[in-house]
Amino acid sequence: MNIIEVKDLQKSYLRPENKNESFNAVDGISFNIKAKEIYGILGPNGAGKTTTLEMLEGLKDINSGTAMIDGIDVKKHPYKVKKIIGVQLQANEYFDKLDLSELLILFGKLYSEDIDYMDLLEKVGLSDKVKAKPKQLSGGQKQRFSIACALVNNPKILFLDEPTTGLDPQAKRNLWKLVKELNHLGMTIVLTTHNMEEAEYLCDRIAIMDGGKIIAEDTPQELINKHAPEPSDLPLQGNIEDVFLTLTGHNLRD
Amino acid sequence: MITSLQLHLSKVFLKIFLRDIQSMIFNIFFPLAFIAAFMFSGSGSESINIGVIDNASNISSKNFTDLIKRDPLFEVTQGSEINLKEQLLSGEQVAIIVVPESFDYTEGTNELKLLLDASQVRQISQIRTAIENSLLSVERKLSNTEPMFSLKVEDFKARPQRYVDFLLPGLLAFMLMNLSLGGSGFNIVEYRRRGILKRLFVTPIEPKDFITSIVLARMMIVVIQLSAVLGFAILLLGVRIEGSLFSLYGMIMLSTFIFLCLGFCFGSLAKTQEAIRPLVTSFTFPQLILSGVFFPISSLPDIIQPIAQFLPLSVVVTGLRNIALDGISLFTLDASIFGVIVWAVLSFFLATKYFVWKEVAG
Repeated sequence: MNIIEVKDLQKSYLRPENKNESFNAVDGISFNIKAKEIYGILGPNGAGKTTTLEMLEGLKDINSGTAMIDGIDVKKHPYKVKKIIGVQLQANEYFDKLDLSELLILFGKLYSEDIDYMDLLEKVGLSDKVKAKPKQLSGGQKQRFSIACALVNNPKILFLDEPTTGLDPQAKRNLWKLVKELNHLGMTIVLTTHNMEEAEYLCDRIAIMDGGKIIAEDTPQELINKHAPEPSDLPLQGNIEDVFLTLTGHNLRD
Repeated sequence: MITSLQLHLSKVFLKIFLRDIQSMIFNIFFPLAFIAAFMFSGSGSESINIGVIDNASNISSKNFTDLIKRDPLFEVTQGSEINLKEQLLSGEQVAIIVVPESFDYTEGTNELKLLLDASQVRQISQIRTAIENSLLSVERKLSNTEPMFSLKVEDFKARPQRYVDFLLPGLLAFMLMNLSLGGSGFNIVEYRRRGILKRLFVTPIEPKDFITSIVLARMMIVVIQLSAVLGFAILLLGVRIEGSLFSLYGMIMLSTFIFLCLGFCFGSLAKTQEAIRPLVTSFTFPQLILSGVFFPISSLPDIIQPIAQFLPLSVVVTGLRNIALDGISLFTLDASIFGVIVWAVLSFFLATKYFVWKEVAG
């Protein structure tokens, strides 16, 4: 069963260098995500991953196309959608003067829920930091805390925007483990990344985006089968990074 | 009317603001220091320093000098011409009366010379009038004539006339304006810059919940800080508040609401910390001068007065002053209170129009 159905989703902006001209940051993409799936959106910087996610989260207006989340039209009922999703943004900052328990209680209240903050902190392995301020957390702890904040409403779908960018290998592995655990509990997870290893390890299916379009979508293994360079080119069969570079080209992105 | 979410959020914001001890202290430091300065400058007017050069040194001139010395308006120094002229140049003396050698009041009109420092242009006419009045009373005493009229000054409102009484409401108004603009506008820009607004926006919270909570929490903060300054002025300076505290605090809350709303507008208009500073300064600075915080609007040039009196800070200052000094009530049909209500409605309208989540959250 599809929990997310996206059809011809489009978002355009005016070009910063020329205000008379617009460009499509997301250019009419369609995809479906099944319940309890980990779905990855993979792409270079500026591909439109975050914009896609932010439209689904109700943060950005949808120019055209439709997005249905658990049967709710995001365009018509953004507040209903917000109640059933959990979101971790790329940049996560919180009020300085509150400690983790106070922040979690606050986020719970925003969903009109009384939460057990210890339970949430235990889930993300931060139970010893209950009285710490967000500033005192390391990069990995901060990311795990923002996942805890995203879980306060026990969401059906969890959106993670580049959750492991900037983390060291240990923190990264730790976070992957957490994502897998949440998924085993029945949560659908949508994440964006430009980390190939992450996409390959975590995701049930991957959509590769470039220039606002989805240029390939499948399971990691199928993508390798279809798009990785032929064995004759390289001694190894290749991995998702080879697929990515073959599809999106080798030019530098900003 | 106020939901439990708004109440909880207000408490959270109150906690955040109260934990910012540094800004709490700095916000009341300036007004307290300012008021304290007037503690020692004393009430009542200061006497004018004048010098007398007695070139005659006879009984007439001695009698004359003694009488001048008795005038409480003057602090008289007698001395040599060279010394006193030096003191005049250095500003120690405001004027010097030179008694000519031929001085004798029993014989016709005596010409006295008044030496002044022309750089103190503004004071010259006042000093001249004061000295002339004093000479007139000296003359009456020396010639034993009774004055025809006596003027007894009585304030029919019987209110205190000290400058600090006049200043306090103005200072409170200026303080609440700065606290409110800082507490809404600057907060919004800062929360946006750090992505906090965006994070809030992905939850089901609505702008009205967010705004209501900040407004409630900020009002509490303003009341706490203004109470500290007010308490200080009442207890240590003996400032009297003629109106009821209910009216005074009602007025303070209403005024805080105005500037919080305007602050939200500025926060929505200015996208960066760099932009909001000049925007807010260009709003507050002219009002500091034009709104009668330190001196009455009526002392401004005639051409500016009609505009000045409608500025938001002007109506707030006047309203607070009318309550504090004249004892009017919040429910009196008074132009300043009407003005405050108009600004409250207007600023609320502007804030709801300009504060759009999607744009503000960035």
